[in-house]
Amino acid sequence: MAKRVSVDTWLFTVTLFLVFIGLVMVFSASAVMAKERYGTGYFFLLRQLMWAVAGLAAMIAAMRIDYRRFKAPAIVFSLLGITTLMLISVFFLDRAHHTHRWIHWGGFSFQPSELAKPALIFFLAYFLESRTKSMDDWRNTLLPAVTPTLLFLGLIVFQPDLGTAIACAAITACILFVAGMEMKYLGYGLLASMLPLYFLIFHVAYRRARILAFLNPYSDPQGKGFHIIQSLIAVSTGGISGTGLMEGKQKLFYLPEPHTDFIFSVICEELGLIGAIALVILFAVFLWRGIRVALHTQDIFGKFLVVGITSMVAVQAFINISVVLGLMPTKGIPLPFISYGGSSLFLTLACVGVLLNISKQAE
Amino acid sequence: MRARRYLPALRRCKYSPSDRKFISGLKEFIRAVPVNWRLAGVGRHICLKSVRGRAVAPNTARGKNTRLYLLGGVLFLWCFAICFRLVYLQIFCYGEYEQRAEHQHQRSIEVSARRGIIYDRGGHELAMSINVESVFAVPNEIPDLRGTISLISRITHENPHEILARCEASKTFCWVERKADADVAERIRNLNLRGIHFQKESKRFYPKRELAAQVLGYVGMDDDGVSGIEREYNDELKGKPGRMVISVDARKQWFGSVEKQPEPGQNIVLTLDQQIQYIAEKELATAMQQTHAISGTVIVENPHTGEILALANEPTFNPNVSEHLNPKRLVNHAISDVYEPGSTFKTITISAALDEKLTNPNEMVDCQMGSIVVDGVRIHDSEPHGVLTVSQVLAESSDVGAIKLAFRLGNERFYQYIRAFGFGEKTGIELPHETRGLLRPVDRWSRVALASTSMGQGVGISAIQLASLISAIANDGVHIAPHIVISTDSPPPPFQTVAFHPTGERRVISSYTAAEMKQMMEGVVLRGTGKKAVLEGYSSAGKTGTAQKFDREARAYSHTKYVGSFAGFAPVNNPAIVVAVIIDSAVGLHQGGQVAAPVFQRVAQQTLEYLHIPHDVELPASRRMLMAEKHVKERDLDEGSPDHPGEAVDAQDSGQDTVASATPITQGDAESGVLPASLREPELPKQDPVKTAQVNQFPSGSQQSSVLPMPLRGPVALDIEQGGIVVPSFIGKGLRSAIETAEASGLDLDAVGSGVANEQSPPAGTHVPAGSQVTVRFAR
Repeated sequence: MAKRVSVDTWLFTVTLFLVFIGLVMVFSASAVMAKERYGTGYFFLLRQLMWAVAGLAAMIAAMRIDYRRFKAPAIVFSLLGITTLMLISVFFLDRAHHTHRWIHWGGFSFQPSELAKPALIFFLAYFLESRTKSMDDWRNTLLPAVTPTLLFLGLIVFQPDLGTAIACAAITACILFVAGMEMKYLGYGLLASMLPLYFLIFHVAYRRARILAFLNPYSDPQGKGFHIIQSLIAVSTGGISGTGLMEGKQKLFYLPEPHTDFIFSVICEELGLIGAIALVILFAVFLWRGIRVALHTQDIFGKFLVVGITSMVAVQAFINISVVLGLMPTKGIPLPFISYGGSSLFLTLACVGVLLNISKQAE
Repeated sequence: MRARRYLPALRRCKYSPSDRKFISGLKEFIRAVPVNWRLAGVGRHICLKSVRGRAVAPNTARGKNTRLYLLGGVLFLWCFAICFRLVYLQIFCYGEYEQRAEHQHQRSIEVSARRGIIYDRGGHELAMSINVESVFAVPNEIPDLRGTISLISRITHENPHEILARCEASKTFCWVERKADADVAERIRNLNLRGIHFQKESKRFYPKRELAAQVLGYVGMDDDGVSGIEREYNDELKGKPGRMVISVDARKQWFGSVEKQPEPGQNIVLTLDQQIQYIAEKELATAMQQTHAISGTVIVENPHTGEILALANEPTFNPNVSEHLNPKRLVNHAISDVYEPGSTFKTITISAALDEKLTNPNEMVDCQMGSIVVDGVRIHDSEPHGVLTVSQVLAESSDVGAIKLAFRLGNERFYQYIRAFGFGEKTGIELPHETRGLLRPVDRWSRVALASTSMGQGVGISAIQLASLISAIANDGVHIAPHIVISTDSPPPPFQTVAFHPTGERRVISSYTAAEMKQMMEGVVLRGTGKKAVLEGYSSAGKTGTAQKFDREARAYSHTKYVGSFAGFAPVNNPAIVVAVIIDSAVGLHQGGQVAAPVFQRVAQQTLEYLHIPHDVELPASRRMLMAEKHVKERDLDEGSPDHPGEAVDAQDSGQDTVASATPITQGDAESGVLPASLREPELPKQDPVKTAQVNQFPSGSQQSSVLPMPLRGPVALDIEQGGIVVPSFIGKGLRSAIETAEASGLDLDAVGSGVANEQSPPAGTHVPAGSQVTVRFAR
């Protein structure tokens, strides 16, 4: 089959749609709060718009760069190194709210853990490309492959940001799975993660509370169960057609983080079942086109990149939505493209650019 | 397996050959899953096998793609799960969570309607509502409950432990300070405490304080009437509360409200006249001080309509501070108390005997020197009397005479009259807790019971029943149910004058008997036990009563505690008012003629003058001179006034006019027209004495030419201890000067017409409460 000349228009269009919906919903969800906090309802919208423009520019740029150029140790390892440095440096730079997640620079803030995801994807794609035949060799293939992941996980968990850590782990697992890793190692990995997860969840008060709230939100509706109940109220209030854009009420200080982690609640409330399903379908289309690109990519490096990027978007989206719908305990994972957050949006779009470039070169 | 159902749907979609490939891969995956499951049931083993199996296949990518399909399939399944969850939440749980959201967003706050105003007949507010603020806490929202409460209690001066206990009892709502003063609320607001909120409420305010307190009653904290009119007409006054639907965010900041407007309560207009009420209360209070009685009641009623013009009780209370009330003070003695009437009840005995033609006023009755034996029981008069006429029996209040007349009547007839006068049943006055009195059923009457009932012992009545009895006699024998409410759904004043139609009229005794009774009762005042009830310039009639109180502990009649009463009317021939006075347990002098008659005298005198009732009796020389002098001055100013051509004559003739009734006249005389037309005329203003007076109380042109009674200018400072303001004379003043005078005196001027003042109401010299309205008529 001849190589395609153009990029995958489905992916491109879906991405643009998602970014657009994101901008609208960030405004709708944040306007009142922004007005109260910053005096202007456009505060978050403008920032998100700026990042979206930058992200789209990065996406188009990445789209035009042959992705094989990234298949260089200089790029992959320096990306790992920079991410590691930044992840370490946040511990010394930022102390807001007892968390170390942000690097503030000028008027902007950057979340290094967001960079960890693409860094891991690029590294794994690069590292595993030549090792597909020796996936069973845990000492020479698997261990080196998961080492950066484990390093990042450690650093991110202690920010603390369990959500992003789990997202990183999930992306790694996806790539390793597609790369043909034996299932027993996945099982071992899961077993091995049980112990730290147990300590991380049940020995940290707020996380334990979240889990308990997830299991029985109404045991403490004003306290631990508050977020999840508020989210469910928002979702169910939407009904089929929703209350209408900007008309939602749950975002008005009931929902925690209505413009970031719980933006899907606002979408459900304001756009109803129709809007929510439409958004889920957009992500599903993204997933379908992503997998399709992966299937059509002969180049192993490209294929792993596509799997990593697609799973990064899909896994984060579905985790986020599941949390909002009360299917999973609360975690701090943004909804890709939609949630407010410059680092996430910019890097996701840049990664989609790479994905699009690969799609251009698929068979 | 479930995914298979969706395949046909997927197939129907348009897809390219490459898509077909993807879907065929998906099919393969779906086919693979059950097979693998069947094989071992352990995913790890199967996958290993399948991967290995594929790995040896020529197309290695194909093997890897299986993993890709698996990954995609898992993610798509996740996607479906999300969609199901969305459908479940947004369609099947729609109502359930909707309610939860409504409950959370919309705080429905009940907005109490403005409680209706209670007016007197002149449109003066007796009870009104003012806006105040209440402070409540939502303890759940308060981070430091103890600290917050202690801060507030420092402002409200309340025990912090009590508030704390209340707040701990209810986590979601608790009042901290109800109906706080404006400055207290403001100071709490300035603290800017979390979880402390404010709600506007209305507070009942009684601008005239104690005035008619028992009639009005008061309201509790929730604005529900607890007693009096406030209770009886609570539903009307309360209105329909509105609902303020406030949408609240999680920080309890409201951001929009849909309001269901409350329907304000109805205004109620009472028959009371605040001036007369004031007079009655003031005189009752004076009497209470002098007699050291336990309690007292004064009722002023219009006998022609049954309207209660004043209803005063002592001791009284200030309804504005209803929290610390002694329940005893709340009792409306006039309505709720049963007492033994004593001799006032003889009016029934004698009028019944007269009406049944069993006697006549001049019949001689042997009173057996004040002693009679009835079925072996000896009954004594307080003073021994020999042979008396029936008139004298009433005047001297002879028990023996009354008993003899009652024996002529017999149980049945006497009982019928008692019932006909309204005893043994409620009068139906629009006030709560009315008593029906105590009246033994006639089939259980012994002769002793008949004898004692004839003199008012062994029977229990209320003051309002007494007033109705006397009203019936004064109203030519027609009993009218007393009323205290004119209208219940009144627009704000000025009211339109609506004729009051009395209800429940029934003739009890013939008008001839009534006329005889009036004459005899005037004899009580002129020659009998009620001499202290003589008025200046008016004829008056009445009956005294003194009853021993029944001592419940001793189960016998007390020899120290008496209920003294006087019930009468004036003027005699066309009574404008009935006044009933009851003084309970006076210390020292206790006879009705001693303690109650003077109260009647003072109340009736002032009320008649306030109502501009023309004099029917020659004034004493001293007052006549005083008034004549005053009148000459005013006449100068009044001269040339086309509206009052008769006044000049009237002033000159004031010495000899209208004295026709110095000696009593019979009903027959009055009807035959011997009496000057003016004396028959003075119909009590039906609706609003102030208004009627200003319209002109002497209508009918034919009368104007005849000798008119002297218009009243009021007595001058009868009682220096009277409270309130002495109304100055506005006569002859221009509008501006009148306004200035009114302001200087603290009165409210109601100016009618333009030019020079030629009429005023109330007249100069009257004592009125500060801020009262004075109507002045101006003419050129």
